Amino acid sequence: MAKRIMITDDALFMRVTLKNILTQHGYEVVAEASNGREAVELYEQHKPDLVFMDITMPEMDGLQALKEIRARDPNAKVVMCTAMGQKQMVVEAIQAGAKDFIVKPFQPERIIEAVQKVA
Amino acid sequence: MKAEYINPFVGAAVNVFQMMLGVTPQRGQLSARKGIFTSQQCNIVLGVTGQLEGQIIIGMSVFTADKIASKMLGTTIRTFDELAASAIAELGNMISGAALTELASKGINCNLSPPSLIRGTNVRISTLEIPTLVVPLQTELGDVEINVGLMERAK
Ligand SMILES: [Mg+2]
Repeated sequence: MAKRIMITDDALFMRVTLKNILTQHGYEVVAEASNGREAVELYEQHKPDLVFMDITMPEMDGLQALKEIRARDPNAKVVMCTAMGQKQMVVEAIQAGAKDFIVKPFQPERIIEAVQKVA
Repeated sequence: MKAEYINPFVGAAVNVFQMMLGVTPQRGQLSARKGIFTSQQCNIVLGVTGQLEGQIIIGMSVFTADKIASKMLGTTIRTFDELAASAIAELGNMISGAALTELASKGINCNLSPPSLIRGTNVRISTLEIPTLVVPLQTELGDVEINVGLMERAK
Protein backbone atom coordinates (compact mmCIF):
# COMPACT_ATOMS: atom_id res chain seq x y z
CA MET A 1 0.00 0.00 0.00
CA ALA A 2 1.24 3.50 -0.81
CA LYS A 3 2.65 5.33 2.16
CA ARG A 4 0.35 8.08 3.45
CA ILE A 5 2.33 11.24 4.09
CA MET A 6 1.55 14.61 5.70
CA ILE A 7 3.47 17.78 4.76
CA THR A 8 3.90 20.71 7.16
CA ASP A 9 5.41 23.99 5.96
CA ASP A 10 4.25 27.61 6.12
CA ALA A 11 5.49 28.23 2.55
CA LEU A 12 3.01 27.14 -0.13
CA PHE A 13 6.02 26.82 -2.45
CA MET A 14 7.59 24.17 -0.18
CA ARG A 15 4.31 22.25 0.19
CA VAL A 16 3.90 22.15 -3.60
CA THR A 17 7.56 21.14 -4.11
CA LEU A 18 7.40 18.32 -1.54
CA LYS A 19 4.05 17.11 -2.83
CA ASN A 20 5.37 16.92 -6.40
CA ILE A 21 8.45 14.94 -5.33
CA LEU A 22 6.40 12.52 -3.23
CA THR A 23 3.54 11.91 -5.67
CA GLN A 24 6.00 11.41 -8.56
CA HIS A 25 7.46 8.54 -6.53
CA GLY A 26 4.07 6.97 -5.88
CA TYR A 27 3.48 8.23 -2.36
CA GLU A 28 0.15 9.66 -1.28
CA VAL A 29 0.01 13.10 0.38
CA VAL A 30 -3.02 12.86 2.68
CA ALA A 31 -2.75 16.24 4.41
CA GLU A 32 -0.96 19.58 4.22
CA ALA A 33 -0.53 21.84 7.24
CA SER A 34 0.76 25.42 7.13
CA ASN A 35 1.76 25.71 10.79
CA GLY A 36 2.46 23.51 13.81
CA ARG A 37 -1.01 23.82 15.33
CA GLU A 38 -2.66 22.68 12.11
CA ALA A 39 -0.17 19.81 11.92
CA VAL A 40 -1.17 18.54 15.37
CA GLU A 41 -4.89 18.64 14.41
CA LEU A 42 -4.44 17.09 10.98
CA TYR A 43 -2.21 14.34 12.39
CA GLU A 44 -5.04 13.25 14.71
CA GLN A 45 -7.51 13.22 11.81
CA HIS A 46 -5.38 11.41 9.22
CA LYS A 47 -2.87 9.35 11.21
CA PRO A 48 -0.31 9.48 8.37
CA ASP A 49 2.58 7.00 8.10
CA LEU A 50 5.09 9.86 7.97
CA VAL A 51 5.19 13.61 8.56
CA PHE A 52 7.54 16.14 6.96
CA MET A 53 7.89 19.01 9.44
CA ASP A 54 9.29 22.50 8.86
CA ILE A 55 10.56 24.35 11.96
CA THR A 56 10.24 28.11 11.31
CA MET A 57 6.47 28.63 11.10
CA PRO A 58 3.88 31.04 12.59
CA GLU A 59 1.38 30.02 15.32
CA MET A 60 3.36 27.01 16.51
CA ASP A 61 6.87 26.06 15.36
CA GLY A 62 7.84 22.61 14.13
CA LEU A 63 9.75 21.57 17.26
CA GLN A 64 6.71 22.24 19.44
CA ALA A 65 4.44 20.43 16.97
CA LEU A 66 6.84 17.45 16.91
CA LYS A 67 6.67 17.23 20.71
CA GLU A 68 2.85 17.47 20.78
CA ILE A 69 2.39 14.87 18.05
CA ARG A 70 4.84 12.46 19.73
CA ALA A 71 3.16 12.99 23.12
CA ARG A 72 -0.18 11.87 21.65
CA ASP A 73 1.28 9.13 19.45
CA PRO A 74 4.66 7.81 20.63
CA ASN A 75 4.94 5.85 17.34
CA ALA A 76 4.56 8.95 15.16
CA LYS A 77 7.23 9.17 12.47
CA VAL A 78 8.35 12.75 11.90
CA VAL A 79 11.14 13.98 9.63
CA MET A 80 12.26 17.58 10.10
CA CYS A 81 12.76 19.58 6.90
CA THR A 82 14.05 23.05 7.66
CA ALA A 83 16.46 25.83 6.74
CA MET A 84 17.75 25.85 10.33
CA GLY A 85 20.66 23.41 10.46
CA GLN A 86 22.13 24.35 13.86
CA LYS A 87 23.51 21.41 15.81
CA GLN A 88 21.45 22.49 18.81
CA MET A 89 18.29 22.36 16.67
CA VAL A 90 19.16 18.90 15.29
CA VAL A 91 19.90 17.54 18.77
CA GLU A 92 16.65 18.94 20.20
CA ALA A 93 14.61 17.44 17.33
CA ILE A 94 16.25 14.00 17.55
CA GLN A 95 15.85 13.95 21.33
CA ALA A 96 12.16 14.80 20.85
CA GLY A 97 11.85 11.76 18.56
CA ALA A 98 12.40 13.07 15.02
CA LYS A 99 13.56 10.22 12.75
CA ASP A 100 15.61 12.32 10.33
CA PHE A 101 16.66 15.93 9.79
CA ILE A 102 16.82 17.43 6.28
CA VAL A 103 18.33 20.87 5.75
CA LYS A 104 16.93 23.12 3.01
CA PRO A 105 17.76 23.56 0.21
CA PHE A 106 17.69 19.82 -0.49
CA GLN A 107 17.92 17.53 -3.50
CA PRO A 108 14.69 15.59 -4.25
CA GLU A 109 16.54 12.29 -3.69
CA ARG A 110 17.15 13.28 -0.07
CA ILE A 111 13.37 13.39 0.52
CA ILE A 112 12.82 9.95 -1.03
CA GLU A 113 15.75 8.52 0.93
CA ALA A 114 14.12 9.69 4.17
CA VAL A 115 10.76 8.11 3.25
CA GLN A 116 12.41 4.79 2.37
CA LYS A 117 14.46 4.80 5.56
CA VAL A 118 11.76 5.90 7.97
CA ALA A 119 8.26 4.91 6.78
CA MET B 1 27.60 46.23 13.53
CA LYS B 2 30.44 43.83 12.86
CA ALA B 3 31.14 42.77 9.26
CA GLU B 4 31.53 39.19 10.51
CA TYR B 5 27.74 39.15 11.01
CA ILE B 6 26.90 39.94 7.37
CA ASN B 7 29.43 37.62 5.72
CA PRO B 8 27.51 34.41 6.58
CA PHE B 9 24.39 35.91 4.93
CA VAL B 10 26.30 36.78 1.75
CA GLY B 11 27.93 33.33 1.64
CA ALA B 12 24.59 31.61 2.24
CA ALA B 13 22.93 33.73 -0.47
CA VAL B 14 25.59 32.67 -2.99
CA ASN B 15 25.08 28.97 -2.10
CA VAL B 16 21.29 29.14 -2.15
CA PHE B 17 21.27 31.03 -5.46
CA GLN B 18 23.55 28.41 -7.00
CA MET B 19 21.49 25.51 -5.73
CA MET B 20 17.95 26.87 -6.20
CA LEU B 21 18.44 29.12 -9.23
CA GLY B 22 21.57 27.86 -10.96
CA VAL B 23 23.20 31.32 -10.97
CA THR B 24 26.33 32.58 -9.23
CA PRO B 25 25.93 36.10 -7.79
CA GLN B 26 28.76 38.63 -7.89
CA ARG B 27 29.31 40.41 -4.59
CA GLY B 28 29.25 44.23 -4.71
CA GLN B 29 30.59 46.87 -2.34
CA LEU B 30 29.68 46.79 1.35
CA SER B 31 27.97 49.92 2.69
CA ALA B 32 26.44 51.01 5.99
CA ARG B 33 23.11 52.57 6.93
CA LYS B 34 22.02 54.12 10.22
CA GLY B 35 18.66 52.41 10.27
CA ILE B 36 16.98 49.46 8.68
CA PHE B 37 14.97 50.63 5.70
CA THR B 38 14.78 49.67 2.07
CA SER B 39 14.26 51.44 -1.22
CA GLN B 40 13.61 48.17 -3.06
CA GLN B 41 10.17 47.26 -4.45
CA CYS B 42 9.98 43.73 -3.12
CA ASN B 43 11.43 42.83 0.28
CA ILE B 44 11.73 39.64 2.27
CA VAL B 45 11.82 40.59 5.95
CA LEU B 46 12.94 38.20 8.68
CA GLY B 47 13.34 38.78 12.40
CA VAL B 48 16.28 37.43 14.37
CA THR B 49 16.22 36.80 18.13
CA GLY B 50 18.75 35.30 20.52
CA GLN B 51 22.35 36.33 21.09
CA LEU B 52 21.93 38.73 18.17
CA GLU B 53 18.70 40.63 17.63
CA GLY B 54 17.41 42.57 14.69
CA GLN B 55 16.28 42.15 11.13
CA ILE B 56 17.32 40.85 7.77
CA ILE B 57 15.89 42.38 4.61
CA ILE B 58 16.52 40.89 1.21
CA GLY B 59 15.35 43.43 -1.36
CA MET B 60 14.91 43.33 -5.11
CA SER B 61 12.88 44.87 -7.94
CA VAL B 62 9.47 43.45 -8.87
CA PHE B 63 11.03 42.44 -12.19
CA THR B 64 13.77 40.44 -10.43
CA ALA B 65 11.24 38.86 -8.05
CA ASP B 66 9.21 37.69 -11.06
CA LYS B 67 12.31 36.18 -12.66
CA ILE B 68 13.45 34.43 -9.48
CA ALA B 69 9.97 33.05 -8.75
CA SER B 70 9.66 31.84 -12.35
CA LYS B 71 12.97 30.00 -12.04
CA MET B 72 11.99 28.42 -8.71
CA LEU B 73 8.61 27.31 -10.03
CA GLY B 74 9.99 26.11 -13.35
CA THR B 75 7.43 28.13 -15.28
CA THR B 76 7.06 31.76 -16.34
CA ILE B 77 4.66 33.32 -13.87
CA ARG B 78 1.88 35.52 -15.23
CA THR B 79 0.66 36.96 -11.96
CA PHE B 80 2.65 37.32 -8.76
CA ASP B 81 0.32 35.12 -6.71
CA GLU B 82 0.60 33.38 -3.31
CA LEU B 83 2.74 30.61 -4.79
CA ALA B 84 5.23 33.08 -6.29
CA ALA B 85 5.31 35.16 -3.09
CA SER B 86 5.91 32.05 -0.98
CA ALA B 87 8.78 30.98 -3.26
CA ILE B 88 10.53 34.34 -2.83
CA ALA B 89 9.88 34.32 0.94
CA GLU B 90 11.22 30.77 1.24
CA LEU B 91 14.39 31.78 -0.61
CA GLY B 92 14.96 34.38 2.14
CA ASN B 93 14.23 31.75 4.80
CA MET B 94 16.79 29.37 3.30
CA ILE B 95 19.47 32.08 3.08
CA SER B 96 18.88 33.28 6.65
CA GLY B 97 18.60 29.74 8.06
CA ALA B 98 21.93 28.78 6.48
CA ALA B 99 23.55 32.01 7.75
CA LEU B 100 22.31 31.41 11.31
CA THR B 101 23.60 27.83 11.08
CA GLU B 102 27.02 29.24 10.17
CA LEU B 103 26.88 31.76 13.04
CA ALA B 104 25.86 28.96 15.46
CA SER B 105 28.98 27.01 14.46
CA LYS B 106 30.94 30.03 15.76
CA GLY B 107 29.04 29.95 19.05
CA ILE B 108 26.50 32.68 18.22
CA ASN B 109 23.02 31.16 18.68
CA CYS B 110 19.98 32.85 17.19
CA ASN B 111 16.48 31.96 16.10
CA LEU B 112 14.55 33.10 13.05
CA SER B 113 10.99 34.35 12.61
CA PRO B 114 8.93 33.29 9.57
CA PRO B 115 9.60 35.54 6.56
CA SER B 116 7.15 38.14 5.37
CA LEU B 117 7.13 39.69 1.95
CA ILE B 118 6.64 43.46 1.81
CA ARG B 119 6.09 45.27 -1.44
CA GLY B 120 6.45 49.04 -1.78
CA THR B 121 9.37 51.45 -1.94
CA ASN B 122 11.05 53.33 0.90
CA VAL B 123 9.65 51.02 3.51
CA ARG B 124 10.92 51.64 7.01
CA ILE B 125 10.78 48.20 8.56
CA SER B 126 11.52 49.12 12.14
CA THR B 127 11.56 52.28 14.21
CA LEU B 128 14.65 50.96 15.95
CA GLU B 129 17.84 52.61 14.78
CA ILE B 130 19.77 49.42 14.18
CA PRO B 131 23.01 50.08 12.30
CA THR B 132 22.70 48.06 9.12
CA LEU B 133 25.23 46.67 6.67
CA VAL B 134 24.24 46.26 3.06
CA VAL B 135 25.80 44.05 0.38
CA PRO B 136 24.44 44.14 -3.19
CA LEU B 137 24.59 40.96 -5.27
CA GLN B 138 24.53 41.07 -9.04
CA THR B 139 22.95 38.08 -10.75
CA GLU B 140 21.73 37.14 -14.21
CA LEU B 141 18.21 37.43 -12.82
CA GLY B 142 18.77 40.99 -11.55
CA ASP B 143 20.25 42.68 -8.50
CA VAL B 144 19.46 41.61 -4.96
CA GLU B 145 20.34 43.63 -1.87
CA ILE B 146 21.14 41.94 1.44
CA ASN B 147 20.55 44.16 4.49
CA VAL B 148 21.65 42.85 7.87
CA GLY B 149 20.83 44.87 10.99
CA LEU B 150 21.85 42.88 14.05
CA MET B 151 22.79 44.01 17.54
CA GLU B 152 24.34 42.01 20.34
CA ARG B 153 21.70 41.55 22.98
CA ALA B 154 22.28 43.71 26.03
CA LYS B 155 23.58 41.52 28.84
MG1 LIG C 1 9.05 27.88 7.26
